Amino acid sequence: MNRRSFLTWGTAGMATLGSAMAVSFGAVLRFMTPSVFYEPPQTFKVGKPADYAYGAPTFLADEKIFVFRERDKGFSVASAVCTHLGCTVNFFQSDDHFHCPCHGSIFAEDGKVIHGPAPKPLNWFEVTLARDGQLLVDKDKIVPASYRLMV
Amino acid sequence: MNLIREIWQSIVRRDPLSTDKGKSELVFLNVWLHIHPAKVKKEHLKFRYTFYLGFITFFLFIVLVTTGIALMCYYRPYPPVAYQDMKDLQFVVFLGPFLRAMHRWAAHGMVICVFLHMCRVFYTGSYKKPRQFNWVVGVILLLLTLGLSFTGYLLPWDQLAYWAITVGTNIGSYAPLVGGQLKLLLLGGHTVGEAALIRFYVLHVAVLPSLVILLTIVHFWRIRKDGGLSRPPWKLNTNKPEALVTIGATPETAPLKTVNASTDKTYGLMEVVTGKPIFETVTPEEEEDTVFSYPYAFFREAIALMVTVTGIMAVSLLFHAPLEAMANPAKTPNPAKAPWYFLGLQELVSHSALLGGVVAPALMVLALLAIPYFDRNPSRRPSDRKWAIWLFTIFVVVNLVLIIIGTFFRGPGWAFVPPWVHVVAGAE
Amino acid sequence: MGRRLPQIFFALSMLAMVLIVAAVWQASTPSWKTYQHKFLQMEAQGEPNAVTKAAVLATPPEVHQILLPGLQRVDRCTTCHQGVEDPTMKDAPEPFRYHAGLGPHIPSKFGCTICHGGQGLATDVKDAHGNVPFWQTPLLPADYVRASCGRCHKEGDIPGVPELTEGRRLFETEGCRGCHKLNGVGGSIGPDLTEEGASQRSPAWLEHHFLAPNVVSPGSAMPNFHFTREQARELTYYMLSLTNQQMGAYYASVALIPSPKYGRQLFVEKDCLVCHSIGGVGAKVGPDLLGVTKRHSAEWLDEQLVNPQLVYPGSTMPEFDMEASARKALIAFLATATAEDAKEIVSGKGRLPTPEDAAIAAGEADFGRFGCAGCHGTTLQGGVPNPNAQGGEVPSLLHLSSDYTKDEVIEIIRNGRVPPLANTAGPQPPLYMPAWKNLLSNEDIQQIVEFLWSKQQKSQGGW
Repeated sequence: MNRRSFLTWGTAGMATLGSAMAVSFGAVLRFMTPSVFYEPPQTFKVGKPADYAYGAPTFLADEKIFVFRERDKGFSVASAVCTHLGCTVNFFQSDDHFHCPCHGSIFAEDGKVIHGPAPKPLNWFEVTLARDGQLLVDKDKIVPASYRLMV
Repeated sequence: MNLIREIWQSIVRRDPLSTDKGKSELVFLNVWLHIHPAKVKKEHLKFRYTFYLGFITFFLFIVLVTTGIALMCYYRPYPPVAYQDMKDLQFVVFLGPFLRAMHRWAAHGMVICVFLHMCRVFYTGSYKKPRQFNWVVGVILLLLTLGLSFTGYLLPWDQLAYWAITVGTNIGSYAPLVGGQLKLLLLGGHTVGEAALIRFYVLHVAVLPSLVILLTIVHFWRIRKDGGLSRPPWKLNTNKPEALVTIGATPETAPLKTVNASTDKTYGLMEVVTGKPIFETVTPEEEEDTVFSYPYAFFREAIALMVTVTGIMAVSLLFHAPLEAMANPAKTPNPAKAPWYFLGLQELVSHSALLGGVVAPALMVLALLAIPYFDRNPSRRPSDRKWAIWLFTIFVVVNLVLIIIGTFFRGPGWAFVPPWVHVVAGAE
Repeated sequence: MGRRLPQIFFALSMLAMVLIVAAVWQASTPSWKTYQHKFLQMEAQGEPNAVTKAAVLATPPEVHQILLPGLQRVDRCTTCHQGVEDPTMKDAPEPFRYHAGLGPHIPSKFGCTICHGGQGLATDVKDAHGNVPFWQTPLLPADYVRASCGRCHKEGDIPGVPELTEGRRLFETEGCRGCHKLNGVGGSIGPDLTEEGASQRSPAWLEHHFLAPNVVSPGSAMPNFHFTREQARELTYYMLSLTNQQMGAYYASVALIPSPKYGRQLFVEKDCLVCHSIGGVGAKVGPDLLGVTKRHSAEWLDEQLVNPQLVYPGSTMPEFDMEASARKALIAFLATATAEDAKEIVSGKGRLPTPEDAAIAAGEADFGRFGCAGCHGTTLQGGVPNPNAQGGEVPSLLHLSSDYTKDEVIEIIRNGRVPPLANTAGPQPPLYMPAWKNLLSNEDIQQIVEFLWSKQQKSQGGW
């Protein structure tokens, strides 16, 4: 083979091969990204508004959320996952605080950190009314603690 | 710029590739490439001599390892979910069907290529001294390849898998004395079930691939140590007198010793202890016969690799891997067939379980292993090896015919049914 | 070839590039994305302003799935059928239409395939609807979807699906089990029907088969029972509902609608009044059952029905082989039962049943359930053709008592009998009396014989 054609075609070939490998790399990343999840979905329905009592929040263990219903204010949904290291917090009606069993973090009713080591307040999730009249929680959408859904 | 050059040179410590020294250093300063000699004989690069079957087999193995690792991310070896995971690969995993098809077709391809590679080595007489042991390693690699394919066959946990493995392991259980124990060890129970699936999985993704990698290293190493590839039979010229070479000849000193030139040229400096030359005197004729591995050999190997990979990709784009109904131990398909490469065996077993299932395959494997030690004929030229070639051809043809009969001519109840006759199997 | 190597290398690189792009393109354009896009466009039309419209249209495409561990299913139907739970989509074209009238069977708890069939895991139209090789349960035609109610509601009457109740009754009384096994009980002349609902046979095939077995599967040993079209349809419903899949606890707990009506039917069938009374009406062998549900908990009563010996060692109450949901129905009836009910039952039977009546009734039930009726007929008339047997057909059982003693008949049932040949040189007749001793207890056989004797007609003519 002559040197010129070797260099031209060889380089062109390597370049094409390089881009093909780049595409494959992207494809592999896409392959590794799960398309479906075998875990509780991030967006889910939690029943009709009428199912919830006023006052103390309802804890949904599978979804790890607290559903608050306040008279004249409406619905709000708090995450039950401690912002420190991911343990599930409990709501104590005695002092209206969230207590984390793992490292003693305490959160106020609006989610603010009262006592460390948690670095930031509890998350609040968007809750809307689905077309079939059920409450729809979206864990992918974080909202301020003041967020309320009026029904 | 200097820094970049410095970094580059710290990675590749060779001269530019435009120089012969650079071309040599590319090979022997690189851990991956130094399995090659710096220069190779032109005759070894000829497609019509090796058909690059060994390389293609190796590349298929690489395709299998890569796609296999990818598939492992989405596969759980537990019966209630294994089949569902296959469906997920088919329906929701991005590129899932494509990668599974690549794995499947490459596996079939590897079984075929290993076999063809073995045929090539036999017909060119390349297993003869000093390459006897490498042939044995090759036969073991063939068996390991079959083992890999067989263990992988169960993993989709569909009817095809379940019953092929049920039939396959029962063939093995006919072995006298050890048969029952062998089956128990392989299945971790008396029938194909949860225990069998996890065992097959461990064999398929850990044990057998490790063995294949270890033996492949030995196989490649022995090629170099046995003097590179064998010469093509058409280059053998027995009329040529033994060439003499001198050892230790420098312009100033007298040669240490004059010996017969080795016909299988090696490059091992350490072989001075074996009495072979330190500096081989390269004749002008030999100089013309060899080329630098870079780029001549590497280019061809790269092309073989790409033909292999693109071929598998093209097939996988067009044909998806089969997936039948979920395994149902209560429902035997009629006929239940082993994987195609064992259908020759199953055909034999249908005539006699002990003879066909144990004696014949055991003899076949022993015969294959013993070939280089049994065949004392030193000549590698086909005209001197008529008997050997006839015998081996009969062996190949009988195997093929049995597999073809088992695959295409056996219908429900293992009755002889030509493929062009359509049979309605039972009430199903 | 050597001179062209760089060109070949380049060509192969191009080929590799093309193949990879083709594979990625193939993987990136599944058909469900088209449906999701169409649905989003429909939804966007309903939005009031451009901002919300854009927000709806920007929803990323993704596979939706309902995880149903209790049913061992994952249903991805809602990936395309997105309007199933959206009442505003009630007039939308398929695949987007709202599913009305689901009652308690909400998609998030039940998914779709448990009723409709099809392949829940699949995400393209053809595979998902399941009419593909190697998928056992293709989508059921709309007319037959209600048959699936029987997959969970295995007993009792199912409101709204009389076909299923009737099909089940036909199966148990027409002697189908003489040839077919169902859940381990029955003969082995015909195929096992335990998983018939997952056999990939279409409703049309089944229905046709019941009407003319030999036309649909030539050479079939199944006799033509001369079913009516309605009966064929009812049996088809029942066949489609047959599955041995275990439903999770959540589903099993509501498997039967434990109606007192069905409980009452069981109360009559099992002849409870032979021993018990309600409010003084009935026999006095066992305790009176008026208000029994107030005296004992439901669990206690359930245990009593399963294993009386465990509750009261030495109890003379027989073990009734009833499924959990049937026991629930019976207890539901007992909670409402009054002396009036007992009176009605007694007057329905004409008189207070005696233990003999109970034995005969049990014998009659077994006669139908174990398939005797398949050959000997529901009225013992016999008459199923049996070539080369003496008489050419299965004998009538209406005149047994003139030829045999009870003990002789018991022996024949226990050990079976090959009918004597009409022509000794001819072939064996296809039908014969199987041996039942491994399947029926001596008590069962005794009861069947009692039933047979209760139906004997006086020998005509005679000497």
